[in-house]
Amino acid sequence: MRFAEVLVFVCSLLAAAAATAATDGKVLFEQKCTACHTIGGGKRVGPDLQGVTERQPRDWLLQFIVAPDKLLAAKDPAALKLFEEFNRIPMPNLGLSEADAQALIEFIATAGAAARPAAPQPAAQPALPQPDLGSLQSKALAVFLAITAVIVLVFIWVGASTRAPADVNTAKAYGLRRVLFITAAVLLTALLAATLPQAPYAAGDAKADRVVYVATRQFDFVFSEEPITSAEDLGRVRRMERPEFARGELVEFRVTSLDVNHGFGLYNPQRQLIAQTQAMPGYVNRLRVRITEPGDYKVLCLEYCAAGHHLMHSGLTAK
Amino acid sequence: MRAVHKNTLYWMAVTFILFPVLILVGLFMRAVQADQLGGAQAWFYPMMTLHGVGMVGVWFVAAMACASDILERYCDPSAAVGRFALAGTVLGVLLLLACVFLGRFAAGWYFLYPLPLKGEWPAWSAVTFLLSITVLGATWLVWCLDLLRAIAKKYSLSRALAWHYLAGRGEPELPPSVLIITVSLIAAVAALLAGVIVLVLFYVELLSGATSDTLLMKNLTFFFGHTLVNLAMYLGVAALYEALPEYAGRPWKTNRIVAISWNAVLLIVLFAYFHHLYMDFVQPGAFQYIGQVASYFSAIPAAVVTIFGALLLVYHARMRWNIASLLFFIGLAGWAIGGVGAVIDSTISVNVALHNTLWVPAHFHTYMVAGLAFLVIGYFYHRCQEVARVPENAGAQAFTTALLVIGAYGFFAMFYLAGAYAVPRRFALYPLELNHGAGYSLAALVFASLFLAGFLLYLVSIWTRWFKAMGARA
Repeated sequence: MRFAEVLVFVCSLLAAAAATAATDGKVLFEQKCTACHTIGGGKRVGPDLQGVTERQPRDWLLQFIVAPDKLLAAKDPAALKLFEEFNRIPMPNLGLSEADAQALIEFIATAGAAARPAAPQPAAQPALPQPDLGSLQSKALAVFLAITAVIVLVFIWVGASTRAPADVNTAKAYGLRRVLFITAAVLLTALLAATLPQAPYAAGDAKADRVVYVATRQFDFVFSEEPITSAEDLGRVRRMERPEFARGELVEFRVTSLDVNHGFGLYNPQRQLIAQTQAMPGYVNRLRVRITEPGDYKVLCLEYCAAGHHLMHSGLTAK
Repeated sequence: MRAVHKNTLYWMAVTFILFPVLILVGLFMRAVQADQLGGAQAWFYPMMTLHGVGMVGVWFVAAMACASDILERYCDPSAAVGRFALAGTVLGVLLLLACVFLGRFAAGWYFLYPLPLKGEWPAWSAVTFLLSITVLGATWLVWCLDLLRAIAKKYSLSRALAWHYLAGRGEPELPPSVLIITVSLIAAVAALLAGVIVLVLFYVELLSGATSDTLLMKNLTFFFGHTLVNLAMYLGVAALYEALPEYAGRPWKTNRIVAISWNAVLLIVLFAYFHHLYMDFVQPGAFQYIGQVASYFSAIPAAVVTIFGALLLVYHARMRWNIASLLFFIGLAGWAIGGVGAVIDSTISVNVALHNTLWVPAHFHTYMVAGLAFLVIGYFYHRCQEVARVPENAGAQAFTTALLVIGAYGFFAMFYLAGAYAVPRRFALYPLELNHGAGYSLAALVFASLFLAGFLLYLVSIWTRWFKAMGARA
């Protein structure tokens, strides 16, 4: 009886340890790997890891996870092949121990087996037609073109005047300068008065319908309804794979960064940039956006953040 | 006829070599974005860094060379410091080339903290980059201080800032170019000191691991970068004030309005940089609004005083047109047009839709290339031709200018259009949703090639004049 109790105790300990390892692997994967890899979700900055434990020897995987820089420096053929295949973006040394790497390998093997077979990579998609200009952008372009046209015409007129040299009435010219000065000062002051209240910070007092936390890192956006302030939170909070919003909702995105500066640029279903803020380590920028149209929204990183910058994107859906 | 100092001629040579090379780097970037160089995509960001640091550096030193050359007419800058600046710049460039080509360093031209320490490049390349910027910054700081010393020795700083004009006295007369150079150099010293603080904080982190505040570093970085680029433009304008009257046959003198205007510029230029941080919502709101006010009102001294003054100088003048005066005149227009693009983007509520899209390189390429570069290469030609007096081919010069203008505005137009269509800047490749960006890149590639052809023709034109000017020194 006593032996049986010990056996049960030992077995439960082993089971708990196995569960902990699996949990650790999952947490580590969320914290360290999802920025660049998926398991069965396709390539990102790095390869899809589904089936990698069958394609590569475990020892090699262990070495590569713990010290990828050393394998690359040693010109390991498999490491070099990956480096070339993925735009010469090296797998960073994440400072993981062998135990961490072991836990990750176990998790990848388990999750890979559980995942559905990887979907074949889609063939090159046809180019999309050019989107329409956004309302704000079209106004900016129109104003720019109109003033540029005036500048060009004035320069052509003044340049052409040199064909007929003559004295200039400087007193009259200085009078015109005075008029121009007053006109420019009044115009700029009026524009300031009209545009400053529209600054995105002015709307900060309105109560948001939803708050979504956004943590950025090289080269990934993590959405959650729980605060994320450090990389450790990534394994703890529940991630929203693709946040969904109701049409008309005022959403407050609380945007931060876990490594370098990033940008959070929101494109509407018409592919027009409608809102953005920066993501800074140590700070949270609160961006409020009213989701007015249903459809798929794209999120792009709009602050250069290293080799995978252009691959850093995500999406939202509005219903 | 005033001989051209050997240092100035060397600076011209540096510009003539580096500018086309950096244009080629720019062409490479647009080719990658146009999806024409699939295998070379990994080099996009290192080349972007080289192109950015290189172009900002080349046009800063080229504009400083103009300033130094102008000051030699009125006071006595140290030739030894000039040589030191040249040697320091060459060393800085070599370090930059090493970290980009050997280490693939790619943190962008303003190396926003903490990216240089957290990229995929090796640590030594980040250190080499920081050393490169340290050498360049320290060298340029010494150069600026020496030019200020020379000005202060001749005029005293208050007179060089034309404060006696503000008090209603027109004597002693101050050349407007000296006023503008003084204003620009003071701003340069402030900018370079901010750069020094940024570098020191980077080194502290490298040595001790103590991290810095990202918002503080961002403010310092943009104060440094924005101000340096702005005042390089002003130094180009000083060259315009100096040389354009010789082609128009009319004087362009300092008066009270010019004095007020450029003193106002000194204040405004120090606050306009806030517009780079509009999308950092945690920045104190007052700074954001000051940024828009300063950016808007920077247009008044530029447009109402300088551009109006230059147009008045040319209006019905017995103008001597050649490639130099054409570039001055068109360069002034480029400054104005680029300024309009910048002022639009400096509106906070518009910046939401344009920040970090291709609208940003659109406007800064307009005033850096069709503004500053045109003014500087116009001034270089003016000085070489002044000494060499080689007969000019008006048709060839008009053709060269036309190529430069069509090429430049063609590739600017692609930036403006793509920016309006929300195509982000600094993307090696565009996502499917924004793949129209590739089409703009391809068209820009064609126009930028025309611009390069125009610049090579300009080099053909200045080649013999430069050698004669060099020979006149012997």
